[in-house]
Amino acid sequence: MARIVTYESDNSLKKGYFSIFLEIFDEIRYNKWLTFQLFKRDFFGTYKQSFIGIFWAFIMPFFSLGTFILLNRSGIFSIGDIDTPYPIYAMVGISFWQIFSTGLISSSNSLAQAGAMITKINFSKKSLVIASMAKTTVTFLIQSILVALLFIFYHIAPSIGIFLIPIVIIPLMLFVIGLGFILSLLNAFIKDVGNGLSVIVTFLMFLTPVLYAKPSTGMLAHLTKFNPLYYIVSAGRDLVLKGVISEPRGFLFSVVMSFVIFIIFLFIFHLTETRVTERI
Amino acid sequence: MDNNVAIKVENVSKKFCKTLKKSMLYGLVDIGKNILGLRTNSGTLRSDEFLAVDNVSFEVKRGETLGLIGPNGSGKTTLLKMLNGIFWPDKGKISIRGKVGALIAVGAGFHPLLTGRENIYVNSAVLGMNRHEVNKKFDSIVEFADIGDFLDMPVKNYSSGMFVRLGFSVAVHCEPDILLVDEVLAVGDSNFIIKSLNKVSSLIKESNMSLIFVSHSNTMIKAVCKKALYIENGICKKIGNAFDVVEAYEADCLEKRKSLRYKDKYQRIKSRHDAGIDRILLLDKDGREKTTFKIGDFLKIRAHVVANIPLDDPSIQIAIFDEKGECILSQISKTDNIIFPAIYGKAYIDFAIPEIPFNVGLYPFSVKLMDGSLIDTVDYHVKTNYIAVESGGKSGFNGKLWINGKWKICNA
Repeated sequence: MARIVTYESDNSLKKGYFSIFLEIFDEIRYNKWLTFQLFKRDFFGTYKQSFIGIFWAFIMPFFSLGTFILLNRSGIFSIGDIDTPYPIYAMVGISFWQIFSTGLISSSNSLAQAGAMITKINFSKKSLVIASMAKTTVTFLIQSILVALLFIFYHIAPSIGIFLIPIVIIPLMLFVIGLGFILSLLNAFIKDVGNGLSVIVTFLMFLTPVLYAKPSTGMLAHLTKFNPLYYIVSAGRDLVLKGVISEPRGFLFSVVMSFVIFIIFLFIFHLTETRVTERI
Repeated sequence: MDNNVAIKVENVSKKFCKTLKKSMLYGLVDIGKNILGLRTNSGTLRSDEFLAVDNVSFEVKRGETLGLIGPNGSGKTTLLKMLNGIFWPDKGKISIRGKVGALIAVGAGFHPLLTGRENIYVNSAVLGMNRHEVNKKFDSIVEFADIGDFLDMPVKNYSSGMFVRLGFSVAVHCEPDILLVDEVLAVGDSNFIIKSLNKVSSLIKESNMSLIFVSHSNTMIKAVCKKALYIENGICKKIGNAFDVVEAYEADCLEKRKSLRYKDKYQRIKSRHDAGIDRILLLDKDGREKTTFKIGDFLKIRAHVVANIPLDDPSIQIAIFDEKGECILSQISKTDNIIFPAIYGKAYIDFAIPEIPFNVGLYPFSVKLMDGSLIDTVDYHVKTNYIAVESGGKSGFNGKLWINGKWKICNA
């Protein structure tokens, strides 16, 4: 006999928190294929009406990189002490940073963009948020090609630590998806969130030592100490370039934080997703 | 819940907010409360909120078909969306048994730049199919949608009919236990509508699917559904046998249109001051004045004529229109070979219809008084009056006319 589903107001409260947790993970697992299809939809939809297509993923970092090199050469801006060629240093940093920046923006837009789809069809909205990350991952993979080319160009070999990259990427993705859950909800009916976010992400990029070395003195040095993004991005870069994470404590703390954020916001998303569809 | 019941709706209400800013605010408050595990007291209305669906209850058994009718904005789609779980009721409870397939807006998940082929996969997934199912049914989906060479073309180039066909095809291939259909077939051509209805009916017969069907076509509701629910302003006004419910709905619609017609511009073209049609009356068989009649009733249209100078060779024209303005009847006394004597003073001319042959609806009519030749108009009342026709037990299934035809079956 088929399963009975009931809809009531404050549905989740009546079920208890523990069973909700199982429900959430069941739902995500069950919808793997859906997530993949939504990813395809998002990915192909973005690049179809474009000649350069996915190669835009190459172009964006080039420009940020170029700007910083230019600023540095003109003496306006000091990159700091680094022991690898700057383009490699920066490119590796940008690749990780972009998981955060593009991931956050596309996931926070995922619900708002789906518009009619979520008000007219009932499907797992979690898949929508997760799928928006997949595009970011592909962009990351493509950018790694760029990084590989740079390594070849400078005749440098990456460290063996490169194989440990997933321990950086997984927490980073969870961090972004976690934030994406809550931001996409808010952005769906309060458009200020989306607008504010693109401003903040750019701002954070300058605030976080991605394209320059961590300063040792000054206010920025102090701020960086409490910037989890710095620890994650630099851990990734350390693994690729040196093979060891130079600030393991900060990194570990950031990883734990990412997991906590992911779980909490996933939970909140689950409790409130239907509230949002009625207000879109 | 009884094993035979597919959908059970108990005292369900849903509220919406009239202003966007307040809606955003309430949304935040509700989300906050949900996160903290507090009740949202969703049963009570805050300022600027209104009930889109108000205390509706019904039950649909497996294999049963229920039509939802009501004017625009009455809450039909909101109800459907709640049944689909797109949003939850603020009050009451909905229980659903089995897989729900919904066609609330066809092709809602279609990406305009992706091809039909790509969209079939995405849309199937969104509607709840898995990879295995889609691969198995892909050819059948394409065949049913009948989009031919367009399969590998971006769907933004599709005609609206093709769009609907593809969307509908995907939805029915989900093999739902319960299918919710919201006024989507209106776009398809008649071939496709027949094909779709056949498909739906075979799903109902073969897999005992339940159907909830929203339509503004009363004919469609009568044809497709056994039961119907008439909803207005969120309140369930009548539920029961589809024919009875549609009749109640039609009667209400007629009542509303009658009051609307009074606001219509009264148009009278009077070319002479010394003669004219004074009054136009509708009389029943007992000579009582009425505006609403039942199909098959006796009806007399009476035109009171006042002539201060003698009107030689007078004749009258009666033209009856349907609500779209198309003339369905126009007769002139003279061309019916009736010659009236001259009128001087007061007189009245009757046009009797022994059995009203018009189907349920509102029929405006014009009365024209002429003297001498047919181009000498004395007075012309253009659609200033109407005949309202109610079903009264008998009514045409659709169409404009109902005649008292005699049915008979014989063994041959």
